[in-house]
Amino acid sequence: MNTESIDFQAFIEWDNNPFILFSAQGKILYLNNAAEILFGYVSKKELYDIALSYAPQSFGYKTTSLALNYDSFIFHAITIGYENEEQISLRLYNTPRIKPTRKIETDKLIVTDINILLEANIALFRTKNTNPLQLLTDQDLPPFKLNQNNFSKLLRKTFDTFRASDSIDISLKLLVGQHVIIENKKEAIVQLAIHANGRYADTDDVIRTLASESQIKCILNEHAIKLEIPLIQ
Amino acid sequence: METFFTTSDKIQHIIKSFNLTKTLYISSIIIGEAHTGKKSLARYLFPNVLLVSGFDQQEVENALEKHDELIITDFEKLNNHSSLDFTNKRIIATANYMGNPALIDELFAFIYSMPSLQERPGDVTYLKDLYLKEARSTLMIEDNTFESDEIHLNLSKNSKSLKKSIFLHLVKHSMDDKDIKRVLYHYLLKNLDGNDGYREHLALYEIPLIEAGLKKFSSQLQLSRVLGINRNTLRKKIHEHRID
Repeated sequence: MNTESIDFQAFIEWDNNPFILFSAQGKILYLNNAAEILFGYVSKKELYDIALSYAPQSFGYKTTSLALNYDSFIFHAITIGYENEEQISLRLYNTPRIKPTRKIETDKLIVTDINILLEANIALFRTKNTNPLQLLTDQDLPPFKLNQNNFSKLLRKTFDTFRASDSIDISLKLLVGQHVIIENKKEAIVQLAIHANGRYADTDDVIRTLASESQIKCILNEHAIKLEIPLIQ
Repeated sequence: METFFTTSDKIQHIIKSFNLTKTLYISSIIIGEAHTGKKSLARYLFPNVLLVSGFDQQEVENALEKHDELIITDFEKLNNHSSLDFTNKRIIATANYMGNPALIDELFAFIYSMPSLQERPGDVTYLKDLYLKEARSTLMIEDNTFESDEIHLNLSKNSKSLKKSIFLHLVKHSMDDKDIKRVLYHYLLKNLDGNDGYREHLALYEIPLIEAGLKKFSSQLQLSRVLGINRNTLRKKIHEHRID
């Protein structure tokens, strides 16, 4: 089959896996849509360094399996390739998201003002800790359906990881333009983000489990926990 | 209507958290030493909610089936936790100790720890005045002469021992000689035995006599005069009873 006349650029452009073409000097010659979003979370230099470190010894393509984690982006492998001395390409493979095995029973959820649960958990946190806390919240968030008990447990566990942290910043906001599909319905997403100078990671597994039970995406890193909560109506 | 008084920041935060979550269907537990006011706090916050005790497993299980909201006291006494389903219920439990931390963690969204009275000096003052009033009224004591600062406040069992120490203090201070004789009579009736009873029990009289005398008259010489005994006899008694 003659493929010479086919322009493959659009296929790469709209590939969900990030693709970047660097020059020999580390400049970006081309990047696709997915890579453009990725650069919001990782520096050009970091990815270029990865490309050089995992490049094949001579011309050609080499795929290496490794775990990379940038905020909510998780990759399980990369392919580095070059056919001349001028250009080197990097392709990152998204780790497929595991579909929750547990179905969320939306009829059992109770319409809740998330700000109340958040405030109550802050009060609980303050019975045990005196760390300074800053809260920036959106009081206009509409009430939405939640498993109140489960979500409270998740909040308690999340806050507990900051028990020895200074300058804890809590923010609650609607992620404009982002949605998640639950039970075939498109739902908006509220993000609860807690940042501090550091945190304990001893209960991260429990946090992940509790979050997944409520269809909440959690992003855990060294200094922060972000919970992306579906605003189920 | 129950009231609950506290000056403790920790408890104020607990109350705030409860007030915020009052209308939500979540499970909370207050854990703390006995007699620190856990049950009173739960009653104060949820005056109309059915209260059951963990001493009766069956009662708790039946109540859980019929009610959406429930106060469970003595939660640590329940022996079968697997049958408890708190989904979409408002549960307020109290426990004297944690028991199985993993289980508590699993069952409850809000886990509060109630500070003991030792950690709440402001609350001790308040309770002391409250119990003094109660003791005065119960014991029908109108006399106002004794110093309430002199009361030795026992906080080892929180409000229970505090109350007891106040009642005992008031009883002791309101006795006349007839009462003291009655008290001694009952004590001796129970304890008199052996072959040296007179000498052994003389201390009951001599020790308080000398201790009070020394406090009141400060010097042994003066006290011996007041007591009308020889100074050497007094010294001997002091030594004998090891009074410093």
